[in-house]
Amino acid sequence: MKFGPLLLLITVAVLIALPWLVSGSMLNAAVQMLISALFAMAFGLLCGQAGMLSFGHAAYFGVGAFAAVHAMNAFGGEGLLPTPLLPLVGGATGLISGLLAGYFSTKRTGVYFAMITLALAELMHALAPHLKTVFGGEAGVSSFRMPAWGIGFGTLNDVYFLTLVWTVLCIGLLYLFSKTPLGRLALGLRENAHRLRFLGYNTHALGTLIFAVSAMFAGIAGALQSMNIEAANYVVLESHISTAVVLNSFIGGVRVFLGPAIGGAVMTFFGHVSSDLTRVWLLYQGIIFVLVMMFLPRGLVGELVERIRNPSGDGIAHTLSTLLMRLASLAITAFGAVFLIEFLQRFLSPEYRAGVTDGNWPDISLFTYDWSPLSMSPWAFGLGLFGIGIALVTMVNRRVAARKEAQA
Amino acid sequence: MDQILFALLNGTIYGLLLFMVSAGLTLIFGMMGVLNFAHASFYMLGAYFAYTLQPLTGFWLAIILAPILVMGVGILVERFILRHVHEHGHAHELLVTFGLSVVIAEMIKMVYGKFAVDYRLPAELNFAAFSLSGIDYPFYRLFMGGIAIGMFIAIYLLLTKTRVGIVVRSAIYRPQMVEALGHNVPMVFMGVFGIGAALAGLAGAVAGAFYTTNPNMALELGVMVFVVVVVGGLGSMGGAMAASLLIGITNSLAVGSDFRLADLMTWVGMGGFAEEVGGLLTMRMSSLAATLPFFIMLLVLVLRPSGLMGEKE
Repeated sequence: MKFGPLLLLITVAVLIALPWLVSGSMLNAAVQMLISALFAMAFGLLCGQAGMLSFGHAAYFGVGAFAAVHAMNAFGGEGLLPTPLLPLVGGATGLISGLLAGYFSTKRTGVYFAMITLALAELMHALAPHLKTVFGGEAGVSSFRMPAWGIGFGTLNDVYFLTLVWTVLCIGLLYLFSKTPLGRLALGLRENAHRLRFLGYNTHALGTLIFAVSAMFAGIAGALQSMNIEAANYVVLESHISTAVVLNSFIGGVRVFLGPAIGGAVMTFFGHVSSDLTRVWLLYQGIIFVLVMMFLPRGLVGELVERIRNPSGDGIAHTLSTLLMRLASLAITAFGAVFLIEFLQRFLSPEYRAGVTDGNWPDISLFTYDWSPLSMSPWAFGLGLFGIGIALVTMVNRRVAARKEAQA
Repeated sequence: MDQILFALLNGTIYGLLLFMVSAGLTLIFGMMGVLNFAHASFYMLGAYFAYTLQPLTGFWLAIILAPILVMGVGILVERFILRHVHEHGHAHELLVTFGLSVVIAEMIKMVYGKFAVDYRLPAELNFAAFSLSGIDYPFYRLFMGGIAIGMFIAIYLLLTKTRVGIVVRSAIYRPQMVEALGHNVPMVFMGVFGIGAALAGLAGAVAGAFYTTNPNMALELGVMVFVVVVVGGLGSMGGAMAASLLIGITNSLAVGSDFRLADLMTWVGMGGFAEEVGGLLTMRMSSLAATLPFFIMLLVLVLRPSGLMGEKE
């Protein structure tokens, strides 16, 4: 792992140079990616390190977002703090709400904990529309970024750097936190809470503290989000935000330190790219998540790290060829599946159904060809590719298993 | 007075509906240790399947066939997905079912659209059972309550009076011993999972016609069911029943109430202060009704963390 720090330095260097490398729309996506990476890291602290699965982390993200907007509007728009320090307000609010919510939710462990976090988030979501003074009702609360410290904060570049500095700083702090005694105890809480209690630690207080720290970083992410769009709406408290962070973090892998961040950034990137290509991105995200959980329980980054640390002993040539064959057969399967899903989506969409006039089913254009939904060809094409892909995947798996057996 | 009677009756029936879904969840959890996050999705699937079948088969056959289809889905999920991840532990199973709930919700959105579908009860069931002080009480509510009670009795008899019930109950406590005696425990698990799913599907098929059938119904009900399970104590059928009724009744009583916290504070002479503060203090109970179950849950967590009838962890 000697090239680990080097890789990290290169990544940070690329991130710093990014505004000169990519277009404005991509830079906007990069801001979103950084925010969801930080949010996923906050979630990863709670879930990966302390083993507490929260289904309601949107609550603390949202609380941070609203706190930042109100802080920006404080003193007649002057702002409570200079603009670059505003995420601190989000963090502080996240910490306080995390202490409160953590006190209740860490009274139970395991699945109960998960259900309580979900219920608390839904409580916030149900309450928010009624508290107009705080959450601004349907319209939400909007505000402006004020110039500070000689920086205008009017351009996307300024916002990008603000987000970048905060994200890198927070991820660094999270890393240092994982090295503190409290951070080490989080691992103990995950592995064996009974034993920790036996050793004299107050596990409830411990859980509450870790929950609060996680909520604090989620609050900072929320603050960055609302500073980016200069508004906050109670939509940020909705369950799909909590869902997305769970999916992203686990797709990346919660047991390796940067796993959630990479998962969050990559999935947000794909979400951004595919938003004008497909309408069912969330479905793909869900399917990817289920597949990763079933076949790569460590997550994508976790699996990669594991493979690098413990090579299979096949030699580089075999490993590479197996990997290539796997990827190729998976690509065929995925293409078949995507074709079927996209075709179905277009076939079932209200626009298409509106175009159907008594028995006349127009062709559907997909991947540059026009397909008639009544003929066999699109269905056979999609299903056929999917089937061939699955067959290839099984074949590769059999070959790997056979070689392992021969070695043993 | 009649208002309160109506509210009590509505609450009881909503509670019974909650129980129909939470019973399956509790049964599966007690037996396999799996908290099935997708359980409420089965409820939603039941409603959508029944909606699809209704024009083809008529209402009665639809509410019989829909749960059977949902049972099929449940069995497939258990056999090909859950069993595959069983070795990675219960948290992993919870996550996979969580992912499944997302996939099911998105598929429903893809096929039926994002908005509510027009699933209605048939005209022959849409009549008043009785009327009190000029307000009609829909027969269908009583019908839903009746189905829930019938289902409860059927499960109770199945579990306590039959041979299958004995095997199921012993498989909960000593799965290895039961396996050693020659019973196919994985098969029993699959069956219980399927029946739990079918119960949720039946609840969905019946209730979807009365309430709305939309892609959010799984989440809305799912959260309530989780609250029920935390309040009642997981794995305890009696607890699930008590908590379902408690939450159903408080919910429907609150919807019809104009009570405000500020009124309470007026009694101790702080009314003016409360009016000034506003926010939560001056909100009517009726608009807070949706949040009341969560407050009950927090209260239970403080007073009795293991739930009303749950065992200590």
